[in-house]
Amino acid sequence: MSEGRLTRRALIAGVGTTALAAPVLGQKLVDLGLPGGPSLRPTTPTFPGKGEMIVQRVNAPVLETPMSVFREGVITPNDRFFVRWNWPMPTSVKAGEHRVAVGGAVKQAVSLTLDEIAAAGEHVSVVAINQCAGNGRGLSQPRVTGTQWGNGAMGCAKWTGVRLKDVLAKAGVAAGATRVRFAGLDVPLVDGAPQFIKSIPMNIAMRDDVLVAWGMNDEPLSILHGFPLRIVVPGWFSTYWVKMLSTIEVLRGEDDSYYVAKTYRVPTGPVTPEDKDFPTVPITTMPPRAFITSHADGGVVAKGKPLVLEGIAMGGDAALERVDLVGDGWEVPCTLGPDEGPYAFRRWSVTLPQVSGDLADIGVRAKNVTGAVQPDQLAWNPSGYARNVIERITLRAK
Amino acid sequence: MKRAPALLALLLLAGCDRAPQVTFADAAITLPDDPAQLPDLPGREAVIANCTACHSPSMMLQQPEIPRKKWESIVGKMAEVYMAPIDQAAVPEIVDYLMAAQAARSAPDVAPAS
Repeated sequence: MSEGRLTRRALIAGVGTTALAAPVLGQKLVDLGLPGGPSLRPTTPTFPGKGEMIVQRVNAPVLETPMSVFREGVITPNDRFFVRWNWPMPTSVKAGEHRVAVGGAVKQAVSLTLDEIAAAGEHVSVVAINQCAGNGRGLSQPRVTGTQWGNGAMGCAKWTGVRLKDVLAKAGVAAGATRVRFAGLDVPLVDGAPQFIKSIPMNIAMRDDVLVAWGMNDEPLSILHGFPLRIVVPGWFSTYWVKMLSTIEVLRGEDDSYYVAKTYRVPTGPVTPEDKDFPTVPITTMPPRAFITSHADGGVVAKGKPLVLEGIAMGGDAALERVDLVGDGWEVPCTLGPDEGPYAFRRWSVTLPQVSGDLADIGVRAKNVTGAVQPDQLAWNPSGYARNVIERITLRAK
Repeated sequence: MKRAPALLALLLLAGCDRAPQVTFADAAITLPDDPAQLPDLPGREAVIANCTACHSPSMMLQQPEIPRKKWESIVGKMAEVYMAPIDQAAVPEIVDYLMAAQAARSAPDVAPAS
């Protein structure tokens, strides 16, 4: 949360752990503020096409966006956008040889070239947030295992491509189709391991804004972001935005594949770490979230002076309605910035007329037009999915 | 030259909503090195032999503090679900290492004078 501002605690911890959690590429370190640690991560600009990124894992690449990137604008630059691969992906792709197989419950299975994909229908752009289902997992209390993200496994880009339904029309969806499943070029290293394949219900697949995309912020997708094509499902977590798309499979019935039936699932109700064998459903849509980006936890503000706080917010699977700055027993409505569409980040700002003392545990609370609002308490779940508790910081008046 | 396929597609698909205005060039990258910077503790060789071919050591070293049983279950999942070719005889040594690395991490920053 506080990159560029290494605390004394962090520095001491860094000294103590140098020999153990040696940074992979490690020159600079960032403190993600993960309760109980380990909280320090190396940062590096050495990944191809990327600027300074937080290294969660080199192989397969998992890179987090530093929170400072969200201080300006609503679009996350491609070179700072988070990266997450479940399995190692190819590092070279020949455009002319790439094919997308469209099969399963279709009238006529087809194998499409990239040019055939591009010619499948109208070219469409949508500005949408791509957020990992586990974004903020490392902040869970009690802690849970998995990629120990801070809150930087999210980004907002303009995605350009053709509608998935236009690509499906090349094969023709057959009667009885229920879901559409995607696979990419990232395949397991060992036989028998589950491939990272994901499916969405047919009604979502047929949406006008669900894309087979090749463009990210007016540039071709890079290898790290899924060249040559990726699925875009605005309002849904990133796990469905399959990269390096190579197979589209129309299903009849349920999807019993591992990453739908066994993982990326959330409890249907509240659970505690002691609970076992509770019912779960696949994680799907994103809830609202908001972040203060102008100040980091522990920051110092001028006593007696006005204070401007700024940040970003998202409605999730519906447009943002409002953002409130909340403290202990008080709240102040924030002013929203330009609207880039229901699935984009939206900036907010608020001016406090005078700082009279420390601002303890303040946060911002987003609400979307369906009434979904960020909770005060974490909805804890064993995989740390869909975090959207109000994120709080403390600012010291001086 | 690169536009030729796109133009061909346009001719074949006249009547589509819009001409394809995109060209696709080959892409290739080289990833940074991934040095196995594992702390020098007993079992390190077993971890290198069985774990780090598939993923960086950071995946293990960055986990929160968890009990031995949880580490055993994670190693088991790697073998049973993700089909990692883990030598079953090496599993206790791997788990010992993960526990030792975790304990060393949370040890006091300054070792007591001996």
